[in-house]
Amino acid sequence: MVDDRPSFEDLYRAYLGRIYAYVRAQVGTSADAEDITAQVFMNAYQAYARFEARNTTPAAWLFRIARNATLDHFRAHGRRERLRRTIEHQPVAEEDPSGVAEERIQYRALLARVAQLPERQREAISLRHSGLSFEEVGVLLKCTEDAAKMLYHRAVKALKEAVEKETA
Amino acid sequence: MSEPEDLELEALQRQLDDAFETTRPRAGFEDELWTRMQVRRPAGTRLRDAWLGLVQGIREVPAVPMAAVAALLMVALGASVLVYSGVGRGGGGATSASLNRQSGAQPASLSSPGAFGQLPSPRFAAAPTKASAPGVAQSAAPAADYAGQVALTWTGKLDLTISSAPVFRYREPSTNTADQFATALGAVLVSRPAGYLGSYQTTGFSVRVRGTVQSPAREPTYTVLPITSSGSIDAAGGPADVALVFLAERSLAPSWQYTSNAVVSGDVSKVSLYRQFGVTGYGYAYLVDGNGERYGIEVDLNGVRPISATGPLPLSIDSAQYPIISADQAVRSALASTPASAGAAGVPTATLTSAELVYSVVAAGDHSFYEPSILFSGTVTVNGTTYVKHVLVPAVDPTYRSS
Repeated sequence: MVDDRPSFEDLYRAYLGRIYAYVRAQVGTSADAEDITAQVFMNAYQAYARFEARNTTPAAWLFRIARNATLDHFRAHGRRERLRRTIEHQPVAEEDPSGVAEERIQYRALLARVAQLPERQREAISLRHSGLSFEEVGVLLKCTEDAAKMLYHRAVKALKEAVEKETA
Repeated sequence: MSEPEDLELEALQRQLDDAFETTRPRAGFEDELWTRMQVRRPAGTRLRDAWLGLVQGIREVPAVPMAAVAALLMVALGASVLVYSGVGRGGGGATSASLNRQSGAQPASLSSPGAFGQLPSPRFAAAPTKASAPGVAQSAAPAADYAGQVALTWTGKLDLTISSAPVFRYREPSTNTADQFATALGAVLVSRPAGYLGSYQTTGFSVRVRGTVQSPAREPTYTVLPITSSGSIDAAGGPADVALVFLAERSLAPSWQYTSNAVVSGDVSKVSLYRQFGVTGYGYAYLVDGNGERYGIEVDLNGVRPISATGPLPLSIDSAQYPIISADQAVRSALASTPASAGAAGVPTATLTSAELVYSVVAAGDHSFYEPSILFSGTVTVNGTTYVKHVLVPAVDPTYRSS
């Protein structure tokens, strides 16, 4: 049988950045994001022999692993710990050498606000803006495509309100 | 919902797009993690992959003399031992006979066919023809263009068993992207000269970053120029190794597949790392410019002292599969590129003898592409001098091209 799957390295190179950004928006610190991203690809590497492209897209498969790894991280560290770290490691102050563009700082602040949203809203935004379709977001969050759209739009509104509250 | 609120939400969504797209791990993390994964891989798997890579490499070289194969096996077995032990950046995987690194920085075909919509067509230079002694490799050929017309014939065999190939797309980098790249090198913004995203400086060297060039099309690039007399680099193996050490010391070693070539003239040498793109069912296809010349990263050396380095700015790349033309269509298109007047008496005939899948940059505004083409190569003899002849034919099915 012809194996038409991409090589794992191709997958790795293509998705490392997106998986990292997704995880980073969940946990709020780059150190945790690196640890979890590493775990995601270690797990994916071991499981790739069992991956079947006809059942799911590589993106949905990888993000499922990423989501599980992130949830495992929260279980291990506790939500309180996550919130504490998120607050302590305000992204504006994190590892930013002088001269880094203001835009980049704003983006980090935005991701930190995403990290503080309720879990499903946070995931809806993170998965969607990591390039997944609403159908794929729905499958991962175990809801319909329409429900995923609704959840996402509510999440964006909630994020907007949070941004406005902070800047008021 | 009111219209202003809609607009605000849309603006927030765009910010989220940008935030997710620009959030990436620190420089070096990608290769570090890949190496860790390779080291943790079962030893048997590493050896098997190294062996398969060797076999594939030999298959891609037609009519290799048996002595050369034997010599190659000896070298590759040595390389396999290194891979087996986890030594070397990039770790194991498909080590090929040309000592390529593992493919990298390129995604697999992950989107639905034609996902980028209608593609702009590549624009190639008009029929480059270069003087060359017969049998001399293209990279070593003198660049004396033959400007006259030629008629074309095809005597080769084009095995193009694939019906689709990936098209790669990158987003035009912003000054922010250039700044991040330079910051990762430890360089500080000095100015933004016209035509550049930024000019940066750090101890020992300066960096310039440029966006996509429209014509001749070239992807965003960086140029590193040592501004103080850089020290000699201690690297066994010759100019290519010196260049790689120089790049690796600045985290600029290519994360993509390549083959290396060094042209030495006295103390001065130019090392080229020719970039390749992986194509499922085909193998690796070189990146070429509008003249059909391979390129990637270039490092100029004076002895073992680096003078400058130029290469593509590392960017995130998407890909989508596109139907491509058949081998017969490609040959017809190549032969049809001959001007109608070329059949006139006295016009020399160029004989195209080989063809390969290649990639070239197609500049297109906010997003530009690496699109596949078929590069035909051959020779033409005029007044006793033999010239190399290249013809490039866009490979993407014309119905998927906008121009």
